[in-house]
Amino acid sequence: MSEKKQLTRSQFLAHCGRGVGLLMVGGVAGGLAARNARAGMVWQIDPNKCNQCGQCATHCVRDQSAVKCFHAFEMCGYCELCSGFLEPKFIAPDEGAENQLCPVGAIIRQREIDPYYSYEIDESRCTGCARCVKGCAQFGNGSLYLQVRHDLCLNCNECSIAAACPSNAFVRVPANRPYIPRLGANL
Amino acid sequence: MSGRRTLLRACLVLLCLLPAIASTGVEYFSPPPDLGEGYTYPESYQAEPRAGWLAWVDTFALVVALTLAALIALRWRRRRSMVWLSVASLAYFGFYRKGCVCPIGATQNVARALFDTTYVLPWVVLAFFAFPLLFALLFGRVFCSGVCPFGALQDLALLKPVRVPRWLDEGLSLLRYFYLGLAVFLAAMGAGYFICRYDPFVSFFRMSGRFHIWVWSGAVVLLSFFVGRPYCRYLCPYGALLGMLSRFAVKGATITPDRCVACGLCGDACPFGAIREGEDAQR
Repeated sequence: MSEKKQLTRSQFLAHCGRGVGLLMVGGVAGGLAARNARAGMVWQIDPNKCNQCGQCATHCVRDQSAVKCFHAFEMCGYCELCSGFLEPKFIAPDEGAENQLCPVGAIIRQREIDPYYSYEIDESRCTGCARCVKGCAQFGNGSLYLQVRHDLCLNCNECSIAAACPSNAFVRVPANRPYIPRLGANL
Repeated sequence: MSGRRTLLRACLVLLCLLPAIASTGVEYFSPPPDLGEGYTYPESYQAEPRAGWLAWVDTFALVVALTLAALIALRWRRRRSMVWLSVASLAYFGFYRKGCVCPIGATQNVARALFDTTYVLPWVVLAFFAFPLLFALLFGRVFCSGVCPFGALQDLALLKPVRVPRWLDEGLSLLRYFYLGLAVFLAAMGAGYFICRYDPFVSFFRMSGRFHIWVWSGAVVLLSFFVGRPYCRYLCPYGALLGMLSRFAVKGATITPDRCVACGLCGDACPFGAIREGEDAQR
């Protein structure tokens, strides 16, 4: 009891403040840790929500966008007249730059077994502009889709593409399942 | 009457939807061809995200840096060591980790997690939010002095500090609370992370950014040539939180009133206007 009496008023207030502060920080941290002790989260595009607006190419904080086009080959029709590869008003259905939809020529077309063509993405060229994705979604099987490449993504706290995305296609996914596969129906 | 009409309408809508419901199978414009046994689909490269254990390294680095800053500030009392520590923090948390995730931004994640129960808060974000606050309760704002990459950047930019008039200094420092309130409100409403969006320093760490952010960054850095740590003093929302807690620090940096001869040299030397002569010297 005698020790307590030696406390000055300011010391007592400091003790109180310290206790309240510790309780608040500890309470918030403990409460949230008990609820959300999970693995890391990373950004990803839900291909079923994406509406191919093209902002992924321009809104990433990196000069070269972390969003690239992926190809689900199992879904691809291997068409000769590919609406993801050719301009809608092509002059000839060939690899000429004026006939290609991709502005940077990142889709590599190869003849497979006659009459089929395979389409591969050169990701070093791809800008994530989604033109081919749109073409494929409109008149194709929707096998071309956009995904965030995790070796390029900085995993910003506020993803500036997510802030600009008109269809809320940007979602946080667990880091151990970082890609959303493009499987299933497309009409 | 209206009930029957609603029922009729529902039946009609259901009738229209029936084909869509019935065809749950996969439909293709041009079905994938059978390319034969010998054909293998091309491999697509899927890069892995940053390894999970590296988050432990980040947290460890944060705690070590905070401990070192506390030791330097309170026991060893060396200004030069503090500068080197902040340069190291700038290199690691700033240029290597590209400024994400930082405790300043983590405030918003925590605010969002408190209001949105579906939001998943990664533990590393929580650790980055809580450790500097805990250290502020023990040793004062050691995070600001030696760990924060933003502070280090502004300290390095400081060329010739100008004394800000006291009325202006105190008036502007109220902005921090407003900024904190705004950021917490927007994060709690799920309207994005305001602090991160208008962060003036990450564009330097990433060496990329949009034009209006570069203008804002340039303005802040230009100001910090002549005003010591303008972002920290007048805008930093996390600094406002740390400031509140550091008032109750167990062992903070203080001036011993009995030994002070009131020469005023420290007040003149401090580039941030943190030491005031006269009435404050009594505390």
